[in-house]
Amino acid sequence: MENTIAISTENLVKCYGRVEALHGVNLEVRTGEIFGFLGPNGAGKTTTIRCLLDLIRPNKGIVRVFGMEPKKFPHEIRARTGYLPGELHIEDNTTVESTLHYLNSLRGNKADWSYINQLAGKLNLELNIQIKNLSKGNKQKVGIIQALMHHPDLLLLDEPTFGLDPLIQREVLKLVAEARARGATVFFSSHILSEVQEISDRVGIIRNGRVVEVAETEKLINRTFHMVRIHFKYPVDAQKLDNIPGVSILTQQDNQNVTLQVEGEMDALIKALASYVVLDFETEHPSLEEIFLAYYQEDGKTI
Amino acid sequence: MIPVIRHTFSRYISQIIIWGFALGALCAYGLLLYDSLVEPEAQQQYIQLISNYPPELMAFFGDMTQMFTPGGYLDTLFFSYIPIVIGFFSIFSCASLLAGDEEKGILDLVLAHPISRTHLFFGRILAFISSTILILCIAWIGIVITLPKTSIEATVWEIILPFLSLFSLLIFFGTLTLLLSLLLPSSQWAVMVSGVLLVTSYFMTSLAKLSDNLRPIEKFLPMHYYQGGQALTKMNWSWLGILIGFSFLFSILAWWLFERRDIRVSGESGWRMSTFFGRKRSVSQKAD
Repeated sequence: MENTIAISTENLVKCYGRVEALHGVNLEVRTGEIFGFLGPNGAGKTTTIRCLLDLIRPNKGIVRVFGMEPKKFPHEIRARTGYLPGELHIEDNTTVESTLHYLNSLRGNKADWSYINQLAGKLNLELNIQIKNLSKGNKQKVGIIQALMHHPDLLLLDEPTFGLDPLIQREVLKLVAEARARGATVFFSSHILSEVQEISDRVGIIRNGRVVEVAETEKLINRTFHMVRIHFKYPVDAQKLDNIPGVSILTQQDNQNVTLQVEGEMDALIKALASYVVLDFETEHPSLEEIFLAYYQEDGKTI
Repeated sequence: MIPVIRHTFSRYISQIIIWGFALGALCAYGLLLYDSLVEPEAQQQYIQLISNYPPELMAFFGDMTQMFTPGGYLDTLFFSYIPIVIGFFSIFSCASLLAGDEEKGILDLVLAHPISRTHLFFGRILAFISSTILILCIAWIGIVITLPKTSIEATVWEIILPFLSLFSLLIFFGTLTLLLSLLLPSSQWAVMVSGVLLVTSYFMTSLAKLSDNLRPIEKFLPMHYYQGGQALTKMNWSWLGILIGFSFLFSILAWWLFERRDIRVSGESGWRMSTFFGRKRSVSQKAD
């Protein structure tokens, strides 16, 4: 089992007092894959990750990481895991280097300092700076380094690019891909669809404490849609656009301004628009929430 | 466990220096005045002075009738009131030992490393105990250095005894706070409850010397088992054992709780109390 499945949860239930945060989460993450865990705030992403590390204990259900139960083998699991918390907090009155030394000492000094320096260079982070003088983004870099520094078999990253500038975001995604290339399994939560699309092999969607979909990333992308606003030079019959496969009219201000929802590829719409004079054409990626809405409306389910 | 002890201890270094040297200086300075106090003329003046003070006030400074003995003098000078000062070091330190870090979100990252909760717990508590010992050692050295310059007839080893009694009280309040910080909704609650117990215990035990009505209650207060300067001449080892025994019990209970509880993330403090009172919170507040 350990050879193929890195993480598995069965009917995982976690309650905080009277509030049930996870309502029977079922997940399987394969060894060596990048698994994107998607969901809006409060969906249960962090709770699931914290159950995997025995930071919190589930009320019901089975959790296994590398075939081991976190409650029985926390030490073994954590030794093979690199974790970046969603809200990273580090002691302020110390330097980045001291923090990494301390965290490395908790791992039996297994990290390679030349690799740490390499990571710091890639992320453009100086190691001799006091933590209290770091910006939120730079603190996040410290979190990323400590998660990667010992070449873990499993990376649990909770919103890894949160607070980072776009250049560093790309670098982090590259590091994650490198870790996978080395053979590591990556389980990362995010509510940014684009980064999940970019690097994940598979995606799990959690909503209100339930995993509502686990799919190959490609399949999820095909389910996504664009909002398209078109301003025509002359009045058009918008119904003709509505007949294009995957296209539906969201709003029509007048005969010259129309907002469409396009599912899947845009090719058919663009070809159809070739016969009109288009003054302006705007596309917008939907938020994850909108994707969820579309996702369920498609299945005729309520959210 | 060694990295935990070393790291936690490093957090205490500034406190060890400040508390240790402040107490050491206070002891040394006060001890130098002893000889001037025990001169017959000075004694008479002090006795007259003391007799003019209300006994309710004098009760807080130990047994004033023993003031001209080394033990009584050390008690009045230092040991009678110092628990209420340094007691707050114990209380604040132990409140932040686990619960404070948990509330800041630091524990979440630390416990994601291959270290067991047991090792973290005992590593941190050992660092606290070591720090407390060091503070008291520096204060003891303050007395030891000054002792040959006075006529006090006590060996440096005898001087350890009141410090041992003080240590047991500090450990008592420290471990009690640690236990409370894991039981109550936040570390602030633990500080408040322990602080109130420390102050109340100090006042009640002091006033029990004047009031027969308070004596039955006094036995249930930790300060009753604190001997202060009197330990110099007649150390009650059972009382020391009671304080150490309770400290041990509190530590074991706190460890048991820590092993079984969820680690909260930053900003989650208070959820168990809200659960207790049946207040509902939205999932999004903590279940991301």
